Amino acid sequence: MQPVVQFKNVNKYYGGLPAVDDLDLAVEPGQFVTLLGPSGCGKSTTLRMLGGFEQPSSGEIYLEGKPISHLPPNRRNVNIVFQDYALFPHLSVGRNIAFGLELKGLSSDAIHKRTMELLALVKLQDFADRMPDQLSGGQRQRVALMRALAPDPNVLLLDEPLSALDAKLRQQMQIELKTIQRTTGKTFIFVTHDQEEALTMSDVIVVMNKGRIEQMGGPNELYSRPRSRFVANFIGQSNFLEGKLLSHDGATAAVDWNGSIIHADLNGTKLAAGSGATVALRPEALYCVAEQPKDRFALRGRILQRVFKGAHTSLTIELENGAELALQLDPVALSHLERDEVWVGWRERDAVVLAD
Amino acid sequence: MRPYFADLPKTALGAAYWLFAVYLLLPLALMTAMSFKDASFVAFPITDWTLNWYAQVLNDKQFIEASLYSIGIALATTATATVIGVWIALLVSTEGIWGKAIIFALACLPAVVPGLINAISMRIFIRTVDIPTGTAAIILSHAVHAVPFVVIMVLTRLRSMPANLVDAARDLGADRFVAFLRVTIPYLMPALLGGMIFCVLTSIDDFVRTFFLGGYKPTLPMLIFAKVQGACRRKSTPWPRSCWS
Repeated sequence: MQPVVQFKNVNKYYGGLPAVDDLDLAVEPGQFVTLLGPSGCGKSTTLRMLGGFEQPSSGEIYLEGKPISHLPPNRRNVNIVFQDYALFPHLSVGRNIAFGLELKGLSSDAIHKRTMELLALVKLQDFADRMPDQLSGGQRQRVALMRALAPDPNVLLLDEPLSALDAKLRQQMQIELKTIQRTTGKTFIFVTHDQEEALTMSDVIVVMNKGRIEQMGGPNELYSRPRSRFVANFIGQSNFLEGKLLSHDGATAAVDWNGSIIHADLNGTKLAAGSGATVALRPEALYCVAEQPKDRFALRGRILQRVFKGAHTSLTIELENGAELALQLDPVALSHLERDEVWVGWRERDAVVLAD
Repeated sequence: MRPYFADLPKTALGAAYWLFAVYLLLPLALMTAMSFKDASFVAFPITDWTLNWYAQVLNDKQFIEASLYSIGIALATTATATVIGVWIALLVSTEGIWGKAIIFALACLPAVVPGLINAISMRIFIRTVDIPTGTAAIILSHAVHAVPFVVIMVLTRLRSMPANLVDAARDLGADRFVAFLRVTIPYLMPALLGGMIFCVLTSIDDFVRTFFLGGYKPTLPMLIFAKVQGACRRKSTPWPRSCWS
């Protein structure tokens, strides 16, 4: 299928410093794609280049196969939901949504009909005559979304639109955004630094760091198969086990970690035997039992610290080989641990070798 | 227990404010009162009341003509100064323009240059470029004086304008001009109205520039000046001498 949006070797420099560094990215139509990364990673610049508010220093951006880098924002069939919503303060809710439709030259009947349809989609039909400053944060957010959707863009761009909302409302809006994306079938490109938002809503997450794509894939894949230390750290938490690669069979690797031999998924990395290797391990992927299990792999250790977190408890465990591991246990698993002497283990496929 | 004089600073401040208000408004109130007095002398007590003075003004063709002339000049000044002022404000608020501080300072200079110097230099200027004295010259000089007020008010408002508003308009299909017309101008409206009121007031009020640049047709301040002066000189005066000392 032809990608709806494609970046080819796009660079953007600010005063000689790369904000976006040789970006290659293809977005399939109808997907919810999230650009995820810390501030300054180039995700907003990427979005603004697509919207037409920044020009690439080199490279080309394609929208449905056509180059668009030279087009001004008003001649690109993409619309943005801005971080601070940017609703026009002098226009009512209805007129805000109608703004793009009026510029398209639709008849006033058609504009009215479409505006009301869109307002109904977010249950704000009764608010058409209100002014933006009479709305709550969540309502403004919905109006901004509908205003951007009104001209029927190929792609909708969202620049951290949830960051101004409180935690509860943010979760609600995440579900709502995802629902709207499904019902309209539009391509959404969403920018955020919040990994939870990315995991909740996305079909594809693009993790960016220092202007480059660090890794791209589905939420599940990124979470369970991080390819770099940056990704493993930015999405969720990880234990990093630094050791030496002993051997591998192309799928599974044996790693010498502080004298213990552990096995981990090679995860497509091209490391040679004998080189240093880092293995990433999620705290909740570890199990912890009181007696040495007979049928599965485990290392001996001692609980240093227990921190109650409500739904789960965080443990810090010191192993016999001197290393420390962070763990998360649910109350049931924890109830079997009376003494601090424990055995800790994990499934081979939950441990992944990182490329760096 | 509250100290006995705890409220003194507050009371003193309040009293000072009201004294100032009285000082500001009393002369105006006196003038208004005198305008209803049926006698030719400005003095108390007022024994007979009349609307005759107002009727005289309304029947004075010369006075009406001068008023209309002043209003016409004020409107033309406002239109000119608003367009130039908004243009300069937009220029100064644009990123990456060289010498912004200088442009801003030059635009604001006429507000602080003494009127007399301004008037004389304008007179020399119009002679040099062969503009005759009269309506055009007056409007030109009034506009130069009014531009700083527009620039400062519009610039203040522009600085509080979210940058995303214009971006949003552009994103929704507006070209630069449409975005300016449909988003920037409405956002600036309060500042524009304020600036325009300033323009009208400074223009109608202006005497010294008009005096140096005007032709034979008097504006309202010039007419009043001429009448007062003439009356005082003739000594057969309905105005007491003190009115012009």
